[in-house]
Amino acid sequence: MSQDKRKPSLLQGLVGLGVVGIALGLAAGALTIPSAAGYGGVGPNFLPWLVSAALLVCGGFILYEVRTGGFRHLEEGPPDEAPYWPGFIWMSAGLLANAALITTLGFILSCALCFVLASRGMRNAQGQDTSGLATWIKDGITGVLIAAPVYWLFTKFLAINLPGLTETGWL
Amino acid sequence: MEIWSALIQGFATAATPVNLMWAFVGCALGTAVGVLPGIGPATAVAMLLPITAKVDATASMIFFAGIYYGAMYGGSTTSILLNTPGETASMVTAMEGNKMAKSGRAGAALATAAIGSFVAGSIATVLVTLAAPVVAEFAVKLGPPEYFMLMLLAFTTVSAVLGQSTLRGLTSLFVGLALGLVGLDQISGQARYTGGVPELLDGIEIVLVAVGLFAVSEALHAVLFEGKVEESQNRMSRVTMSREDWRRSVPAWLRGAAIGAPFGCIPAGGTEIPTFLSYATEKRLAKDEYKAEFGHQGAIEGVAGPEAANNATVTAALIPLLTLGIPVSNTTAIMLGAFQNYGIQPGPQLFSSSAALVWALIASLYIGNVMLLVLNLPLVGFWVKLLKVPKPQLYAGILIFATVGAYGMRQSAFDLFLLYAIGVLGLVMRRFDFPTAPVVVGMILGPLAEAQLRNAISIGEGSPMVFLERPMSVTILVVVLAVLILPRAVGWWQGRKAAQAAV
Repeated sequence: MSQDKRKPSLLQGLVGLGVVGIALGLAAGALTIPSAAGYGGVGPNFLPWLVSAALLVCGGFILYEVRTGGFRHLEEGPPDEAPYWPGFIWMSAGLLANAALITTLGFILSCALCFVLASRGMRNAQGQDTSGLATWIKDGITGVLIAAPVYWLFTKFLAINLPGLTETGWL
Repeated sequence: MEIWSALIQGFATAATPVNLMWAFVGCALGTAVGVLPGIGPATAVAMLLPITAKVDATASMIFFAGIYYGAMYGGSTTSILLNTPGETASMVTAMEGNKMAKSGRAGAALATAAIGSFVAGSIATVLVTLAAPVVAEFAVKLGPPEYFMLMLLAFTTVSAVLGQSTLRGLTSLFVGLALGLVGLDQISGQARYTGGVPELLDGIEIVLVAVGLFAVSEALHAVLFEGKVEESQNRMSRVTMSREDWRRSVPAWLRGAAIGAPFGCIPAGGTEIPTFLSYATEKRLAKDEYKAEFGHQGAIEGVAGPEAANNATVTAALIPLLTLGIPVSNTTAIMLGAFQNYGIQPGPQLFSSSAALVWALIASLYIGNVMLLVLNLPLVGFWVKLLKVPKPQLYAGILIFATVGAYGMRQSAFDLFLLYAIGVLGLVMRRFDFPTAPVVVGMILGPLAEAQLRNAISIGEGSPMVFLERPMSVTILVVVLAVLILPRAVGWWQGRKAAQAAV
């Protein structure tokens, strides 16, 4: 058998448990779906049960793989370097702040904020020095320069509703 | 000559200034996203799905087809010039293309990739023109049992055949099917898995899943793991081919097109198999004097063949999409989503109910191919500059476009939180090598397959035997089983032979 010489990790086990968890969650949900099948013989709860059972089996097999040497045929082995969590937190903060603020700040400012935070995360990940105010300002301006034309293009030319800070449709 | 007049009509629609503009913007944008690492055609089409609310169907399908197509041209530029291939489709191109570029022949590699894409793309477009109406005529005769079996075949190939691990492929597929379950049941109108959240009654938007899985997870993956990755760029040289290059490329293009096109036609998509097959063929057929170039200085056949195969496959993949409504890749799955936004269900009736649209789309493929050749040969220097965009700005910028796509669809901030959650899911999947295409295909095709299944069983008056009583559906079922069992049987047999030989 071709098997990777990679140690089964705790994380792989968690992935397996996650799949099992999704399966059980789907099953719990399927309980509440009525089975009225009508002429079909197959009701609206058939596929939910099928998917839930299939995921349970998949989760079981994944856990079995983890217990017997880890995932098989991994193409992209985990890079040697440890994950850079501070960068992840910056970028997550950017995305979540954008979600929370887009209706109050408007598309342009909210996206520019997301741009600044995400870019900072990536800069730090690359080992750049971001202590000064200059990077913040530079990224802020770049963010606005990307977000504003996008906003105008989509709202003015394509008539897609994106939230603005004001009612003018330009900001 | 019904096809001929329909095609002329299609050209008349596609060649209006507005539609030409959409085709051009699509091709240019497609090339750009193909060149840029971290964003591919599926993501780009998904992000732009909100335009379906305003732009008319023909224009936006021409636009999306341009992106789909252009990204294939652009992807090869990146894989030849950078040491990290952008698309999976251009992985094979990268092997020889990169070697050629390293030995100072980047220009020839780019030229053979672009011209080869043009040649194979045009051949495959002719195939689409001639074959699609025939397939559609045949497909009208298929009933729900046959459709369900065809969808089962698509599910099987996308999850169990492509990719490294069948187990992880199937897990992805069922996660996709689960996502597709959220919302109102198509047949009974029963709400499923909405958890009382009104936003979920309409189901989860495909834009969210696609943009979350591809764009957001890509950015999160980059910030976590790729900060320190050094990228080196190969030197450009003049984009031109010598007489000898032509002599070696032309047969490779034609062989690549011949290998690629059939793979696109069957609902068993993916460009990995045809591109690798073409590469292997070229390597075997190469004259002895060139054989040594493979893997060393880089052989031009090894770029020409796979690149042609790649384009022939993606073009021919439009046949199952348009005639059967069955997508077999991320991008075609999302294009199916775009059709659905217009209330159009691709399938055999499409050629009669939306003939104008279909033929304009096919005509635009011819036009797009010419545009892309111009965009990618004389103007390649411009696209190469895109490779210089620094990563922080690139990924942060991608997130802005992701917001447009996710928010623009339903104007709901809730969707942006969901987008983040799906991005994290995509990150986990990517980290542990779960393929993403089965999720997207499962999510889009799942509800359609469920409806076909239930209709089929209704036809059988409640008996699942209906699938075994109809010859076509049994045939497809046998193919599904063969696809599942044969590769394993062959592997097992070879393993046994190797073990015996070792003894």
